[in-house]
Parts: sequence; structure tokens; C-alpha cells
Amino acid sequence: MATSTYLSNPGVVVNAVSLTDQCTSATVTNTAEALESTAFGGTSRVFVAGLFNQEITLDLYMSYAASETYATLAALVGTTTTVKVSNTVAGLTTASATEPRFELVGCYLEALPVINATMGELSTISITFKGGVLTTVVS
Amino acid sequence: MTYRIVSNRIGTPGDIYEPEAGVNVEALLLHGFIVEDKAPPKSAKTKPTEKG
Repeated sequence: MATSTYLSNPGVVVNAVSLTDQCTSATVTNTAEALESTAFGGTSRVFVAGLFNQEITLDLYMSYAASETYATLAALVGTTTTVKVSNTVAGLTTASATEPRFELVGCYLEALPVINATMGELSTISITFKGGVLTTVVS
Repeated sequence: MTYRIVSNRIGTPGDIYEPEAGVNVEALLLHGFIVEDKAPPKSAKTKPTEKG
């Protein structure tokens, strides 16, 4: 049964800056890279866990005003930072089992679309933070 | 080095900002989210001149 419907609850913090009111989508992916260990005699492929490889993808409204999207992200390209995402804004400060906070420390921002302009539409961008160490905070 | 919050996207403006692990402080300074909290200079102490 579907139990998580997101309306306006999730919270997003990038490099200590709250971008909750600019964010429309957030995906945190915890990946353990699959290393194939299938050997002779096997009839099915077998995998073991390799390195962890984390990713956070955010869809944001672009704003060039002071303290907004561009100001937050522009200096982060090519550097590492910390990104926090929770299913509720309260979870960003007071996490719990039902309001977990996912913190990716040391994640790398490879690219930032500095302009994405279409006539008659609000400007949006999609960015991905790669790598780092993912921690799930529940208390 | 201590920092003070300027933008309410970080916290309460005027409060001291303590960077968490992994935060890029230079980026926050560059775009004015925080400022360096410079301690007021100490007043110069002058020794009284001794006259013989």
C-alpha cells in the first residue's frame, strides 16, 4: 500500500543552506556496486558488494536573487560539500524513525546548469551530488 | 575563526555559525550567507613612562 505522498513536507539543505522552498524533487540513492563473482560451475550470475556509491539528485527552481539557488550552488561546482534531505522539514533538525534524515557528507558537485531558460516557464535545474559518505540519522 | 550568520536560510541572522562536517565555508562566505566574526581589537596598553 502506498503510504508516502509528498505535498510540501520534505526538507532539503545544501551546504548548510535551506533550499526547501526551491526544491520540487529529491532522490537519495544508496548504491553498493555489484561485483560479479560468478565462477565455473555456476549456472546463475552471482554478485558481491563492492564500493558504496551514493547520489543525491535535486530538482530546483533557479533563482539568481541573493541567498537563493544560484548563490548557494555556484561556488560548489568542483568541490565537495554536505547535503541533507528528510521526508519532513522537522526531520532536518529533529530526526526520528518516521522522519529520518539522510546526510551525504563529502559529496561532489560535478555540474551546475547556470541557465535553463524557456519562454513562459519558470526556470528549473536538475543537479546531482555524487560520492561521499551517507549517514541515516533517526534520533 | 568564528562566523556570524547573515542569511536566514542558514539560521537566525546575527547568531554565531558553527560549520558542520563537510560544509564548504568559503562558498558561504563568497555569497554572503555568513561573515567572519572579527573580534574587536584590544585597546593598546601603554606603559607609563618612568621619570627619574
